[in-house]
Amino acid sequence: MAEAELQQLIKRLHSTLKTNSSTNDSMRLLSRAKVCLLRLNALVPTPDTPETFLKLARETLELGALIQIRIGGGAAFTTYFEQLQPFYALPPQILPRENSNMSKITGLCLLVKLTGEDYSGFHTLLESLEVAAAQARERGEGGKGLEDDPYIQYAIRVEQAMMEGSYDRVWGETKSSKLPSEEFAIFSQLLQQTIRKEIGDCSEKSYQSIPISNAKNLFFLESEGEVVEYAKSRGWILNSKDGRIYFPNYEGENADDFAERDLVMASGQVIENTLGYARELETIV
Amino acid sequence: MAESMEGVVTEQAPQLSEAEKIVADIRGNFSLLERAVTQFDSRFTLRALRSISSLRKRLTPRALVEAIVLTYNPHDATAKALIDAIGENSSVIQDVVSQADKNQAANGTAGAKQPPKEIPTEIDVYIAILIQVYLYYSEQYKAGAEFSLKLVESIRAKNRRTLDSLASRAYFYLALFFEEAQPKPPSPHSPVIKLRPVFLTALRSAVLRKDLETQAAVIVLLLRNYLSTADITQAHALLEQVNFPATAPNNQVARYLFYVGRIRAIQLNYSDAHGHLVSATRKAPSSSVAVGFYQASMKFLVVVELLMGDIPARDIFSQPKLEMALQPYFKLVQAVRAGEMQGFVKIVQQYSSEFHRDGTYTLILRLRQNVIRTGIRMLSLSYSRISLRDICIRLGLESEESAEYIVAKAIKDGVIEATIDHEKGYMQTKQAGDVYATGEPAANFHDRITACLALHDESVKAMRFPMNQHRLELKNAQEARERERELAKEIQDGDIDEDDAAEGFDGL
Repeated sequence: MAEAELQQLIKRLHSTLKTNSSTNDSMRLLSRAKVCLLRLNALVPTPDTPETFLKLARETLELGALIQIRIGGGAAFTTYFEQLQPFYALPPQILPRENSNMSKITGLCLLVKLTGEDYSGFHTLLESLEVAAAQARERGEGGKGLEDDPYIQYAIRVEQAMMEGSYDRVWGETKSSKLPSEEFAIFSQLLQQTIRKEIGDCSEKSYQSIPISNAKNLFFLESEGEVVEYAKSRGWILNSKDGRIYFPNYEGENADDFAERDLVMASGQVIENTLGYARELETIV
Repeated sequence: MAESMEGVVTEQAPQLSEAEKIVADIRGNFSLLERAVTQFDSRFTLRALRSISSLRKRLTPRALVEAIVLTYNPHDATAKALIDAIGENSSVIQDVVSQADKNQAANGTAGAKQPPKEIPTEIDVYIAILIQVYLYYSEQYKAGAEFSLKLVESIRAKNRRTLDSLASRAYFYLALFFEEAQPKPPSPHSPVIKLRPVFLTALRSAVLRKDLETQAAVIVLLLRNYLSTADITQAHALLEQVNFPATAPNNQVARYLFYVGRIRAIQLNYSDAHGHLVSATRKAPSSSVAVGFYQASMKFLVVVELLMGDIPARDIFSQPKLEMALQPYFKLVQAVRAGEMQGFVKIVQQYSSEFHRDGTYTLILRLRQNVIRTGIRMLSLSYSRISLRDICIRLGLESEESAEYIVAKAIKDGVIEATIDHEKGYMQTKQAGDVYATGEPAANFHDRITACLALHDESVKAMRFPMNQHRLELKNAQEARERERELAKEIQDGDIDEDDAAEGFDGL
C-alpha cells in the first residue's frame, strides 16, 4: 500500500523538480513521502530492509536534497545529506550504485560547506571521500576514482582556486558552461559574492588607488555604475576628478604611525611577561 | 664443600631446557602479580607486563599449557577455559598433565600436599593476555577476536582496580585482532566498526570507576578506530566529550597527542595540530622498537609545518632513525622551499602511493597554495619591483590576472609586504624593516621561556616519592629529639653526679 503511494509520490516529485513548480507543493509531497518511508520502516536502513525499499528511500531523500538546494535551504540540505549517508555506505551487493545521485549530492554538499566558509567541514568530508576512493582503487572495483568524478572535482577546483587567490579562475568556474549540472548554478551567485568580498579585502591592502574603469574588470562587475555603487557600500572614497577609487584602509604611507602604536601595545605585553617570569622564578627558587 | 655445592648448581642449570625456562619466567611474573595485589601497587603489574615483549618470541602453546597446569588445581574451571582457548590438541595436554604429576611425585609428598591456595584474578588475566599475544603472533585472528571479547567482558564484570593496567593491555590486543579481520579498516564495512560500542561501554565503565589506565587506553583505541575509517566528525565529537587522564602512562599520552594532532590537521587547525604533534614526537619512546611511531608522527609534523608556512629544520632529515623513512618528505620540503610548482607536482605524483599509505596525501594536496606563496615571497625578497607578467612566468601561473589576485591575497594575508600598481602592472616591495625594531624577538624569547617553565613544571610533577617516606623521617626526627633529651638529662644527671661525687668525696 504505502509502497505504491510512495512510488506515486516520487513520480510527482520528479515532475515538480523538472517543471520548477511552487516550493509549497514539493515540500508537501516530500513530507508525505517521508511518512510513507516511516511506515515502510525504511528511513534508516536495517539489515533486513528489502532492496526495493532501500532504492525508494534513497531516491526520496535524494529528491528532497535536490529540492532543498533549489530553494536555497542549506541547513535542510545538510540534514538530507546526513540521512543519505547510511544508504551510501551500504555495500554495492546490497544496494547497487546505479541510478544513484551520490556524487552529485556529495559535490553539492562540498559547495554548501565552501560557500558557508566551513573549510574544516569541507576538508573533513574530502578526507573521507579520499579514503573511500583509495579503498575502491585498491580493490580494483571502484572504476571511477575521485579524479574522474566531475561533481566532486568541480568543488575541489573551486576550493583550490579560492585558497590560492586565483579569483579569475573561480569566476570562470561559475560560468554556466563550466557547471557540471544545473543545480550548481545556485551556488554561482553565492560564490561570486564571496569572491567579490575577498577581492575587496585584498584590494584595500594592496592598492593605494585604482581607476574606476579598471575596477570594473577587477571586481567582475557589469558597468561603472555598479562599481560606484559597490565602492560606496564598502565605504571607499571616489574621486570624480581623476576617476579613481581611493582605499581609506590603505596603510602604505602611514606605516610609521602604525609602528608607534605597536610599540605602546608591546610595552604592556613586555611588562606582563616580565612580571610572569618573576612570579614563576619565585616559585622555583 | 662450597665448590661442590656450586658444582651441583651448574649441573642442574643446563637441565633447564628452553621450554622450562619460559615456564619459569611466566611463573616468576605470577609472584610479581601477587605482590601487586597484596601491596596494591601497580608498579609490579607493569613490570610483569613489560616482560611480555621478551616472552613474546619464545612463547609456545606447550609452555602456556604447562604454566597453567602447574599453577592451577587439576579441576579448576578457569584453567580449563584458558587451556581450551590455546587450541592445543588434547594429547599434548594429557602429556603435560602426566608429566607435571610425575614431577610432583618425584618432588616428594611435600609438594603434593601443599594446600591449593587462592589464585588471584590478576593471574588469570595475565595468562589470558599471554594467550592473546600467542594467538596474535601465530595469526589466529578469528579465534583471538572471540577470545578477547570474552576476556574484556569478564574483566569489566570483575571491577578490580589491580586489574586496570592489565585491562588496558587486553583492550589493545582486542583492537589488533579486529584490525586484522577482513575487510581491512578503510572499508566502511570493516569489522572494526563493531568494536565501537564495546569500547564506548568500556570507556563509560572506566570513567565511572575512575579507572584511568583503561580510560586512556580506550580513548586512544577509539580515536585510532575512527581515524582508520576516516570518520573525523565522530573522532572530533569524542574529543569534545572526554577528558584524557593527565596521569596516563607516557606511551598512551604520546599516542593520544598523535591522533589529536592528525584530527586537528585535517580540520585545518594547524597551530593546534603542530603543538600536539611536537609533543607527540618528544614523548615518543626512544627505544628502537617504537621507531615506527616516531617516524609516523614526524611525517605528519613535517607536513603540518609546511602547511603553516614554515620550513622544517634540515637536521630532522639527517637523523639516522628518520633518514630513509622521510626521504619523500625531504624531497617535498625541497620543492616547497624552492617555490617550484612543477617540481612540487612531480614529487606528489612520484610518491603518491607513499603519501596515501601514510595518510598524508590530502594534507599534501593542500600545500599547493603554500608553494605559490613561497614562490611569491622569494620573488619579493629578491626584487624590489617585478612585473606581474614575470611573476606569472616564474611561478607557472595561468594568466596575469591570476597573478595579480594571488599577489593581492598574499599581501592581505601578510605573507609579503608590498603594493601593486595596477595600471603599470608591477609589484613593488616595501623596504624590509629591521626585525629587531619589532616585537618579534621578544615574542620568540617569550615562547622559549614558556617552554622552559612548562618543562620545569612537568619535571616537578613527574617526580616520584616513595610511600610513607616522610613518616620515616618523622620517626628519625623523633628519635633524634629523644636522644637529645636523654643527652640533656644525662648532662643534668652528670651535674648531679659531680655533685654526688663531690659529696662522696666529702663523705670520704
